[in-house]
Amino acid sequence: MSDKRFKLHWITAVIEVLKTLKEMILPLIVLFFANGLKDMGTGKWYIDYASFIIFGVLLIAFLVTGIIKWKRFEYWFEEDELRIEYGLFVKKKRYIPFDRIQSLDHTEGILHRPLKLVKVKVETAGSSSAKQSEAELTAITKEAAKEIESEMAAAKMRKKAVPVEDGMPILEVPVVEDAKVRSVFTMSAKDLFILATTSGGIGVILSGAAIFLSQFSEMIPYEWMYEEISSFVKYGLLIVAIAVFMGFVVVWGLSVAMMFFSYYGFSVVLDEQDIVITRGLLEKKRMTVPLNRVQSVRVIENPLRQMFGYAAVVIHSAGGGGAEGAKINLFPLVKKADIDGPLSEIFPDLNLDEPRQKLPARGRRFYYRMDFFWMIPVVGALGYFFFPYGLLSLLIIPLVIVFGLWQHRSASYALSGHQLTIRYRGFSLQTTYLMKKRIQSMEMRQNYFHKRQRVATLFASVKSGMGIFNAQVYHMEETEAERILSWYEPSVPIKKNASTLVGELEDKGAEA
Amino acid sequence: MRTQPVNQISEKGLKVWRLYGIMQTAVILLLAIGVGVLTYIFEWPKWIYAIAAGVVILVGYLIIYLFPKVRWLRWRYEVRESEIELQHGLFIVKRTLIPMVRVQHVDTAQGPILRKYDLAEITISTAATNHTIPALITEEADELRRRISVLARVAEDDV
Repeated sequence: MSDKRFKLHWITAVIEVLKTLKEMILPLIVLFFANGLKDMGTGKWYIDYASFIIFGVLLIAFLVTGIIKWKRFEYWFEEDELRIEYGLFVKKKRYIPFDRIQSLDHTEGILHRPLKLVKVKVETAGSSSAKQSEAELTAITKEAAKEIESEMAAAKMRKKAVPVEDGMPILEVPVVEDAKVRSVFTMSAKDLFILATTSGGIGVILSGAAIFLSQFSEMIPYEWMYEEISSFVKYGLLIVAIAVFMGFVVVWGLSVAMMFFSYYGFSVVLDEQDIVITRGLLEKKRMTVPLNRVQSVRVIENPLRQMFGYAAVVIHSAGGGGAEGAKINLFPLVKKADIDGPLSEIFPDLNLDEPRQKLPARGRRFYYRMDFFWMIPVVGALGYFFFPYGLLSLLIIPLVIVFGLWQHRSASYALSGHQLTIRYRGFSLQTTYLMKKRIQSMEMRQNYFHKRQRVATLFASVKSGMGIFNAQVYHMEETEAERILSWYEPSVPIKKNASTLVGELEDKGAEA
Repeated sequence: MRTQPVNQISEKGLKVWRLYGIMQTAVILLLAIGVGVLTYIFEWPKWIYAIAAGVVILVGYLIIYLFPKVRWLRWRYEVRESEIELQHGLFIVKRTLIPMVRVQHVDTAQGPILRKYDLAEITISTAATNHTIPALITEEADELRRRISVLARVAEDDV
């Protein structure tokens, strides 16, 4: 094994500087404006130009630390571990055993692409913080990234070759180079367009704009603007409305463009034991999810997209990362009719039948009953304070009831072998496929009214990143909830259907 | 109908809960006294006294007497060969099933009040969820922790 030590590409220093600058940009701007726009002429140049001097010194300091950070960073392979040494003042060493590595995520930013570089994030199960990955190689050549992968594969092979304790001879499997790599899913331009236009990105952009504006509120010349606007308003409400509308259109267009860029070229590839997801136009991202880390598969049908016959598929992974590492968009948008093919190619064991067991009529009222607690006061208040028109709020009641009935009708579940399928509706219809061995714990909940109606709510918790994802069937038949609990209970042998059980007993009787 | 888990938590747990209830009620009593004093000083209407007294009595009854009792009667657990079953909840009865192979670790913890009563709470953690049994005799908790950790050692490698 070579103990050769590797360095990152020099662009790392630039990226480090830019990263620090990005974090510092707001304080710097504030500093700049606070000092720079004051009346000149105190006579002392170092006071007049204080902000520029500070700015310059900081910039140089960032540059120097960036270069030192880059110079100090080293990684190498030793004893089946990825070893990293880095640190500005304190030299830190980190050793990551190859078989603990969950995934190597590749990102190609704008700075990486012209130089054919890639950023590699190393994820392990025990990543301590949600935001930070275990190790990050800010910029290395693609060949170097390949080398890490082949080094990792070699290490795993060596590990497998060692005979295990119970003496079972392990057959040495020849490495099949790239033979098993299959493309499972890609998104067409049309799909991409629909995804971008129907996404909820607007909210994100609006709030982003709000935050941006609030940061600059002190610098905006309000008086000037006020005059401008008041003369603007004189042109009439129509123009104002059109301006606001145009503003929304622009914001929406921006969000569409952002979605388009980040999901451009989306493809899912199956590489032996890993799912590899690639996406992005300006910043190319590649994410590797080991198949055996996938905890649950969820099909989400947003009513809006459902109209076009589309759905989305999300998987929950037990990987270490934060939100991004835990809930992964496997198929961001896919024709409902075309889900089964690629999904069963990735998860051959999954039973993708529609869950058929419906909920009892006895549980129906629970879907909207709790809502009366907020509805009645709201309707009462509106009706009282805005007397004639406020009474229109009475319409909320049938709406909420119909919504509840819709949820009740949509919910269903199915047990098949080692798999539990749960379907429920928030606003979108969600179908979750859970394997028994992936469920961490299960809970059945009943309040007094539930008990009287012999219904219960069932919660199944699965791991999702560092947290939990709960799949639930609300207000189902009590006996059915108990049956699913018994199905989950390890010490109870799987019960057969009552009818087959009777049949078997009769068979036994006949034999005797 | 599933049978309930067999073990109940220690009867001393009920006493501890009542103690917590008394402490919380004392805080509310202080608030009520404050309101009473203000009412006296500013000569607010007399019925405020009645409401303050009523709130204290009602809250006291609920959190010193009724809630701990119901909760204690409801709390049951059972540690079997291959799973742990819990039942608890005041308004909503929750029955939780945790297979042994899912258990990652078991903690016991003991605050000053629990220590005085020789009790400990025990927390069972899976890869995703935490489950707490609130009051067990210390010895029992230690025993349970040992037993679970032995049983949980058979855990499979997959998360």
